[in-house]
Amino acid sequence: MTTLDPTMGMRRSQLYRRHINNNAVFKKTGSDFVVSHYDNGNNQRTELDQARSMAICDLSTLSRTGFKGAGAPIWAESQGVKLPDRANRAIVQPDGCLVAKLSDQELLILSDILAKSHQVTALGEQSTSDHLENDTQTYLLPRGDSHCWLAVTGNQAAEMFSKVCGVDLRSHKFALGNIAQTSVAKTNAIVIRQDLGQTLSYFILCDISATEFLWDCLLDAMQEYAGSPVGIRALEQLVASQ
Amino acid sequence: MKLLTCPLNGSRNIAEFTYGGEYHATPDHISTSARDWAEHVFFHDNAAGMVTEWWCHTASSFWFLAERNTITDEVIRTFKADEIYTERIDFSAAKTESRS
Repeated sequence: MTTLDPTMGMRRSQLYRRHINNNAVFKKTGSDFVVSHYDNGNNQRTELDQARSMAICDLSTLSRTGFKGAGAPIWAESQGVKLPDRANRAIVQPDGCLVAKLSDQELLILSDILAKSHQVTALGEQSTSDHLENDTQTYLLPRGDSHCWLAVTGNQAAEMFSKVCGVDLRSHKFALGNIAQTSVAKTNAIVIRQDLGQTLSYFILCDISATEFLWDCLLDAMQEYAGSPVGIRALEQLVASQ
Repeated sequence: MKLLTCPLNGSRNIAEFTYGGEYHATPDHISTSARDWAEHVFFHDNAAGMVTEWWCHTASSFWFLAERNTITDEVIRTFKADEIYTERIDFSAAKTESRS
């Protein structure tokens, strides 16, 4: 099997050196590369089992975008986007992508983890051709280069977060689709509860310059739960197993 | 631990917030004198008692207003800026007199 080189993509994750050092096997999604799984030799524990108990996955090369401005929600709805009913909520669209309402005038749109949704690209192109700024007070807010995107999965995830985050993220307090814009390990972050299959999961987005710091902090925090990095293949299996 | 309630994000540790200074009504940018602009931008009342202040929730970059008693450090209420700013403010250029 030919090993794919993550530096050959249009965009590389801030973590790609760590992934390479951890024997990552990459796969191509669109024009970029994401970790499929880690080749850990004799480790008997599968990444799927790991993802069900405590794991972290780097999704930073998947597509995402955003819109901001007084007219952003109305414009997005005119493009067929289904909006959450209030700020700090996120809902999955029919094609699988996730729309997060960060305030009354700000939207964040994340690709599905299978990268099958084309809505992120389509909305970005449509906003450019519509010349939104002048007409509708809607401003394109690209997120691909500003924020990293991590997924933390597993039934011990909320307990792990209690060590690094002041917001109560336990499943009975922090419902599916809830968003907390808060401090995680002293780093400003957007936390979205987005379960994968039946497994408790959170998406974490923080300033891209803090990616390596937050990755190391979360790995350190999940050490006592035997947490470790997994590739996107394990997350796909979680979704498929629902 | 001190807590402050962000109108968008709810109750959070004060460490997540940045103080933004006293709130003063924005002067009319066409008719205000240079002296009054300087007063608005650079000078503060520093009142003892009830004041209205700008605060920012840094994790979400959300600016809002708080009514606070500076003697007791009690926050009476916090509210979104759109309670005051109901319309977009466009800063059109003031007409300047020719110096010729």
